[in-house]
Amino acid sequence: MIETGIPKLDEFLGGGMPKGKSLVYFIQPGVEGEVFGMQTVYSALKNGRNCIFVVSSTIPDIIRGQFKEFGWDINSYNETFFCVDAYDPLIGAPSKEKYVVSNPESIEEFSKMIINIIKDSPPTTIVFGSLSTIIDLCGEKETISAVRDWNKMAMLYDHVMIYNFTAWPYSEETLNSIKGDLFNAVISIGGIAERVIFGQYFGILKSDWTKEIKKSMLFRVLRPGGIKLYIPKILVTGPFDSGKTTFVHALSTRAISVDRLGTTIALDHGHVDYKGFSADIFGTPGQERFDPIIKLLSGESMGVFLIVDSTNPTDFVRAKQMLEITKSYGLPMVVVANKQDLPGAMAPEEIRKQFNLPQDIPIVSVVATDKKGVFEAFEVLIDKITEGRI
Amino acid sequence: MPDIIDILDEILENLRKTGGVEACAAVSRDGLLIRGIIQKQQFAESFAAMAATMLGAAETATIELGKGVPNRVIVESDQGKLIAVGAGPKALLIVLVDSNTGLGLILLELEKAALKVKELLT
Repeated sequence: MIETGIPKLDEFLGGGMPKGKSLVYFIQPGVEGEVFGMQTVYSALKNGRNCIFVVSSTIPDIIRGQFKEFGWDINSYNETFFCVDAYDPLIGAPSKEKYVVSNPESIEEFSKMIINIIKDSPPTTIVFGSLSTIIDLCGEKETISAVRDWNKMAMLYDHVMIYNFTAWPYSEETLNSIKGDLFNAVISIGGIAERVIFGQYFGILKSDWTKEIKKSMLFRVLRPGGIKLYIPKILVTGPFDSGKTTFVHALSTRAISVDRLGTTIALDHGHVDYKGFSADIFGTPGQERFDPIIKLLSGESMGVFLIVDSTNPTDFVRAKQMLEITKSYGLPMVVVANKQDLPGAMAPEEIRKQFNLPQDIPIVSVVATDKKGVFEAFEVLIDKITEGRI
Repeated sequence: MPDIIDILDEILENLRKTGGVEACAAVSRDGLLIRGIIQKQQFAESFAAMAATMLGAAETATIELGKGVPNRVIVESDQGKLIAVGAGPKALLIVLVDSNTGLGLILLELEKAALKVKELLT
């Protein structure tokens, strides 16, 4: 399997791409999608694979500069990384690259180059920086039929083919064949605007080597860093003195709190960077007199941590009430059974009984003061959030 | 879709150019940063969450007391001022102003910008 290097995507694809397969990143115009192909290049190189990047939208030096901006040092992979320069000849500039397409406006020239590479190279990850640029230069029908040949050849010679494609208003036929039968897998990358957050997401439209997966992930592009999965809002709520603030601080890379005399009066805000994910965490106050603020803060959450004090069964009534206030029913939720280190703490299953919780809501044992179980709870919630969304 | 972001960026850019404005941002009512021009980007999210809470708490308080919806929240310190205004049902605008600038022009510009954001995001 060849990894794409995009967090979670490899997992969705069952470990990555089998050799001989092709994949297209189908990018809505206006979304930062080119970074997907680049991140795949870097991840392939880092895993000791050969990689070829077909540059057709700007000069290769600028592309190399972009890799650097993301913090990906590709210059140390002189032996395994090569560019195909399909830009410099367009502007009549001399090229420094090993492979040059002498006339990028002719699909025959292009095809000759690519087929030669496919035949002569050991198994390689071949990434096209911009398929849409090639289509613009060489024509829609011509390019599609060339790509069909390349993918067939790649299958014979065990290469992996990856394309960045920006979905400009091409003909219906072209778009359909790109989304349809031309590639083994289609990853759609788009933006959302109907709610207030302007997010970017990717999801698997199709992949012929895995079961159908209806999952999508929000992401942000960081420089340096590349693609990070992003969850704009996770709510941490629960009764007074259950340990919400401690939990937020234990989980966060950086966090701030508005509190007086040890109790939160407005909110805790924390930011988490963990395993390719970044998330913003909002902790609510627990005391009833702050209920209006809780209501105000809880909109648009994508998931909820409900913190309960395991030693205090009377908490559970208030906990349920808080779920109602925050309108959290139906959102992905994890119950955090905090203070497991104290005498008299109830086991998660006892809590489930007392609380009357359905089986599908996970309960995680946590000692927030020692950071015990905190990241397990985070992973469980992330799994819940990514499950079944599209 | 990208158009809205571009317009929003432009509104913020204009606001930022007003004398004395150090940073400004558009934030959703429930505390998520939409767009912002802030030097210390890593604090932007917290800044957004805090400002939304302030305005939200102020609105809850004045409405409960029968005094209607507040026009804005102004926080003054020796080092500067923080102003938050509602911009429609979905968003609010916040600006950070240095200590030696009067608020007259800024409030005016902020009001104008808030109206535009309200148009844009409803």
